[in-house]
Amino acid sequence: MSFPIYDHTKSREYFNRATKVIPSGVYGHLGPAEGNFIPVTDWPLFGDHAKGAYFWDVDDNRYIDYMCAYGPNVLGYCDKDVDAAAIAQAKLGNCTTSPNKIMVEFAELMVDTVASADWAFFAKNGNDVTTCAVMTARAATHRKKIIFVNGFYHGISPWTQKVDYPGVVPEDVANNLYVDWNDFEALEKLVAENENEVAAFIATPYMHGNYKDNELPADGYWQKVRELCTRKGIVLIVDDVRAGFRLDLAGSDHFYGFEADLICFCKAIANGWNVSCLCGKEFLKSAVSSLSYTGSYWMSCVPFAAGIACINKMKKLDTPTMFREKGLKLTNGLKDAAANNGFNLVVSGEPALFYLRIANDDSMMLHQEWIAECVKRGIFFASHHNHFMNASVTDKDIELTLEVADEAFKAVAKNHPELF
Amino acid sequence: MTDSRTMAYINMYAIFGTLENLCELDAASSAMLSNQKPISIGFDVTGGPKATLYFKNGKCRLEQGIGDCTIKIPFASCEKFNGLFDGTVTPIPTKGLTHIGFLLNTFTALTDRLTAFMRPDPEDLKDREFFEISTKLMFYTIAVALAQIANNDEIGKFSAHLIPDGEIAFNIKNGPAATIRVKDHKLVTIKKACENPRALMAFESIDLARDLFDGKVNAVACIGEGSIEMRGMINMIDNLNRILDRVALYLA
Repeated sequence: MSFPIYDHTKSREYFNRATKVIPSGVYGHLGPAEGNFIPVTDWPLFGDHAKGAYFWDVDDNRYIDYMCAYGPNVLGYCDKDVDAAAIAQAKLGNCTTSPNKIMVEFAELMVDTVASADWAFFAKNGNDVTTCAVMTARAATHRKKIIFVNGFYHGISPWTQKVDYPGVVPEDVANNLYVDWNDFEALEKLVAENENEVAAFIATPYMHGNYKDNELPADGYWQKVRELCTRKGIVLIVDDVRAGFRLDLAGSDHFYGFEADLICFCKAIANGWNVSCLCGKEFLKSAVSSLSYTGSYWMSCVPFAAGIACINKMKKLDTPTMFREKGLKLTNGLKDAAANNGFNLVVSGEPALFYLRIANDDSMMLHQEWIAECVKRGIFFASHHNHFMNASVTDKDIELTLEVADEAFKAVAKNHPELF
Repeated sequence: MTDSRTMAYINMYAIFGTLENLCELDAASSAMLSNQKPISIGFDVTGGPKATLYFKNGKCRLEQGIGDCTIKIPFASCEKFNGLFDGTVTPIPTKGLTHIGFLLNTFTALTDRLTAFMRPDPEDLKDREFFEISTKLMFYTIAVALAQIANNDEIGKFSAHLIPDGEIAFNIKNGPAATIRVKDHKLVTIKKACENPRALMAFESIDLARDLFDGKVNAVACIGEGSIEMRGMINMIDNLNRILDRVALYLA
């Protein structure tokens, strides 16, 4: 069958209005620049509504959404159980002078759910808790240096950025050290060169950076890192903001067989209700308690109610197993569709957060063309970011995705007779 | 947040280098050289760039090194060389004193002409031909300054170390084009269109390019509007953009 090509007239109208009152129209990762909308005319710029695995843009085009709002949509948009819990809590109060008792219940649930957690500290965004983790490590160790893995992303505070980013000064990143992913020997050397100066090693559970194939941890890597950090008094921080609860409800450190000292969660906690959480070991509870670190909305309790409902539902559905199975079914199908049309589609990372790259050229231009052909036929993939599975994706959705992907491959091949 | 050595490389290759384009694009500049016998000026900057401007047949060419120049002008430091551009240093040749007339008259007139295009009077920009020449010259200056900053400025080098090997097409549609060649995190600008780019950044028109150069519009917003096209290895473009930020700092 032939799929209709979407029109984005209203998206463009809204974007033109937006640029007059919002910097760059849509800033950040949801915008066309950072989101790599290539070419921008093929992409929706504003949504209208969402349900389950789908969202509809302002031109009433429906998308099967494999970006899931870049992670928060874990059960399906507007999940009835999560939203009912949030709405019920909203009727009792949300942002109040005295934090609602449900905060205690949510913290208890987090500690019972996350294998390495002895306590839970809530905030709003992933950056809030990665920053909290680094400050906690520095408070506990009285050291200043932090080791990052090259290609990292841990948020948007100046300490998480690079020296050449606008608004960042060299002093912001003066205590940042860098090492390659999976290179334990280099890490060990870096620690030795900075003896008694390293407060923390921060990393995602596997390398899910952008613009490159994602890399899983080498056998024994995390266990060696854990031992090194323990031996050298370095706080081991796992940034599980992106992968958290999609691999393992007990935390991605549990999934890979080690224990973090601090672990950061955000995206999949509450199915889109805004809350993030830092969990940690008992020995760091005093340090985190000592921080001057809070926010006006951090103890708003509607997201806590949503989080409790979301985590309980993920446990009931065993979503990590579901995501792995669905992710494999989808990505195996995509690889077959690619091969049938003469393309080499490289799939990397965990199936729950699969990353795609067409490897027929060295410029990514074929890949960008294929992604755009999918998007304008209703499959929302990202050009250069890992994707996210959610519990509402059905086998029928996957079948439809594969049909569109096949047609998109054919469209790209037709545009490049010189290659096929 | 700028350093004098990087500034000296920009002044040599991006500013003096744009004399090549000035003589191609501006008939008045070319005419200044029409009756001129071939002549060259070597600029020897201690601790900085060394290059020679060759003038022949109404054209200008900049080459690295000072081997066979007619006039040689030494500078004791990058700061002294940069002083030539802000008017605080008077150049004193050590070779070619008999050609001092070219230096004082023709060369000075050419650089004044370049300045008129690079720092234009707003009234002059109302003339379309002047506007287009001015914008094209700015494009070439920026394209070459990118490489100088990537290779010399500490923060520019940080950005460059994240750029993989390959060529980036840097274009104004229906206008000037440049190739930014990257090899082992060193950048070279070639002032002609890229034939096999790994990444492309193109401005939709010369007017848009001008507005960007003048800081009247924002590049991120333009990408959303579609007036800047980018594709290919976006990490190449992303890091190139970070260097572009510093071009404005140096050329301000």
